[in-house]
Amino acid sequence: MNLDRLAVNARPRSSWESVDLGILLARRHWLQMTALWLFPAALVFLLLGLIFPDSPGWAIFAIWWLKPVFERLPLLVASRQLFGESMDNREALSHFRRANARDWFAWISWRRLSFTRAFDMPLTVLENASGRARATRLSLLHRKAASTASWLHIVGVHVEMILSLGVMALVYMLLPEQLEIDWLPLINSNTLLLSWISNGVSLLVMAAVAPFYVYAGFMLYIGRRVELEAWDLEIHFRKMRTRLEASQKTTRRSPAGVRTGTATSLLCAIGLILCSTIAVPPPAQADVATPAQSEELIDEVLAEDNFHRRELQSRWRLKEFKSRERAFPQWLINLMEWLEGLGRDDDEQVEENAGELWPLVAGIIELLLWIAAAALIMFLLWYFRHHLRSLAGYRPQRKSAEVQRPETLFGLDVRSDSLPDDVTAEVLKLWRCGAQREAMGLLYRASLANLISRFDCAFEDHHTEAECAQLVREEATQDPRLQPALVQFFGLLTTTWQRQAYAHRPPANTQLETLCRQWQQVFHEGQAGEKSP
Amino acid sequence: MHDTSASAAPPNPDETGLDTLYQIETPEGIDLTAQVAGPVPRILAYTVDLFYRSLILLVLGITLRVAGNTGIGLWLLCSFLLEWFYPVLFEVLRRGQTPGKQAFSLAVVNDNLTPIGWGPSIMRNLLRFADFLPFGYFAGILSMSCGRYFQRLGDYAAGTVVVYREQVAKTGELPDAAPTPPPRGLQLADQQAIVSLTERSNVLSRARQQELADLLEPVTGLSGDDGLRRLHGIGRWLLGARRPQQNKATATNTPTQPEVAQ
Repeated sequence: MNLDRLAVNARPRSSWESVDLGILLARRHWLQMTALWLFPAALVFLLLGLIFPDSPGWAIFAIWWLKPVFERLPLLVASRQLFGESMDNREALSHFRRANARDWFAWISWRRLSFTRAFDMPLTVLENASGRARATRLSLLHRKAASTASWLHIVGVHVEMILSLGVMALVYMLLPEQLEIDWLPLINSNTLLLSWISNGVSLLVMAAVAPFYVYAGFMLYIGRRVELEAWDLEIHFRKMRTRLEASQKTTRRSPAGVRTGTATSLLCAIGLILCSTIAVPPPAQADVATPAQSEELIDEVLAEDNFHRRELQSRWRLKEFKSRERAFPQWLINLMEWLEGLGRDDDEQVEENAGELWPLVAGIIELLLWIAAAALIMFLLWYFRHHLRSLAGYRPQRKSAEVQRPETLFGLDVRSDSLPDDVTAEVLKLWRCGAQREAMGLLYRASLANLISRFDCAFEDHHTEAECAQLVREEATQDPRLQPALVQFFGLLTTTWQRQAYAHRPPANTQLETLCRQWQQVFHEGQAGEKSP
Repeated sequence: MHDTSASAAPPNPDETGLDTLYQIETPEGIDLTAQVAGPVPRILAYTVDLFYRSLILLVLGITLRVAGNTGIGLWLLCSFLLEWFYPVLFEVLRRGQTPGKQAFSLAVVNDNLTPIGWGPSIMRNLLRFADFLPFGYFAGILSMSCGRYFQRLGDYAAGTVVVYREQVAKTGELPDAAPTPPPRGLQLADQQAIVSLTERSNVLSRARQQELADLLEPVTGLSGDDGLRRLHGIGRWLLGARRPQQNKATATNTPTQPEVAQ
């Protein structure tokens, strides 16, 4: 048994993991193992078929009963494979008798119904133990692995059953529906041929499952021995020993090399000193001369705690768990206590505080509802702020200096200095020239400019013509300077201008003249009135 | 120098032999290792779940009998929900473990070893149907036995693996030995092996431990029981013990007695 050639990674495993490893190995060597199991079994099956052609059931029962005998050979090959020795089928089959040399009769008689067969058999095949020695050894090995071995056996039995039924179901499902075979008589008549076929399928399924069962049990056994005998440590210690011996050899060999090395470095140093007068700073570790020494030093440094930061995390956790440990501020505790008091009536306080959580929840919900109600009221107040303001008769007093007067409104220049001196004369002149649009535009522009500069109307960039007229109407209620005549005139002018500007419908001549006259009255008389007092 | 460094390189994982480990590297360069679980424990875990589900359905069936036809309807609804969502709910809400998986300390995780979410869990459990075909999880058993990481068809579709939830091995009492600093030139794996020997001192027989310690005679410079005790001391030092414990006053005396005896 050469542990260095072990084909699997030796480490202490749980028994389930050992079984899994067995499955993995069985998959790798499945073809050979199945062949080795099947060959003798099929031979016996065929022989029985020839001798007793009328009893297929007994033939498959015999195969089933002889399973331990057929499993010996795959087990032997598995034990060789584990230590890196491959064996071809011919050679393996020649070992059939040797594999079954010991206690085969026990296995097909009183031990046949043992649930730990796959685990126990390696004891015979590998350790050649028998009698009392076997019993004590078995009790030691069973201590931890027996239940896993039994469960492996139970699972194996069921998997075999499921696979046999599954193959038949698969065949049935893959038959075309058009065949319309009448199944019932076929199944009921229990034809001999059908029985032989189905038993043959069972034999194949047994052969397919056997490697997994054998290997899983074998690896369970190996896993138990790895645990009991620390194979992993032995393998590693052996490697360590050879490595250390090898490195010791090199260090023993090194002194000659070191001598030449120091000689050359000495020469170099002398050369350096000769070449330059600059003092070379001596290396920090002057005593490190040989690679081996420096290596030791490096190992020493690497062994320090600075280079070993390991964490063992056995479960997932949230990354930020510091914040969860933070203490609650006092005000929050007070609030909670107050909340608990909120939800509880005086009668409830008499009761046992069994449902301590619920008053708190109720209190929180109550508080949230209050907050929601307050928020709703605030929102409503904010939403209708303009209406409320006008309802209260409040008009914000703007100081004229603060008001940013717009220079253009809907593309019209409304600066008062952009206007001609005599607006109406200019308007009429343009009108007569046929520039009706420009004439109306000038009149309207002049009105806006006057309203802004003299009556402090708070027009803004975003206002439309209709909104301007509306604003003038609104402001007229509070500003005595805006007389009804002016308001009415501005309304009329706005609609006329809108018609001109957007519908290209110029006013009649008389209408324009009336507007000009009114403009003169409204603005110039107002101006005169303003100036005279 | 080159020779020694080559021999000192850590063993290639491929050379260490077959194992059931599942290894991935995160983008941060951290190697994560999990032990994937094979068909046998998984079949048993499924059986345990099946047993619990049947038990629930049995109890429900008895209690819903009073409700007549409505009860039968409710029972059918419950059985549907149990069949399809029992595993999903447990896997997502209980860290990848249904009660059956918990019994065998198994857990489903995504194949990048992150906790499983709703999508993958629903996917892998809906595909139970594919694994069931043509009879009794035939396809699932084949897929699990033939796959490198024991995945059934649903696992392949959802990108999940079933792993063992590693239980931290409880280290038994460490042997009484004065902590000794390790000699130079020990690699990480060497240190781990020595620590492992120290921790397993209760499991392994004394004779076997001495046999193992003799292998390391070039390291410790001692043989037999002294070598073993030195190794235990190194192990304890590596585990963080720096000076003898309080009860060492008696403990330091006891090891000297066998020496005298020898």
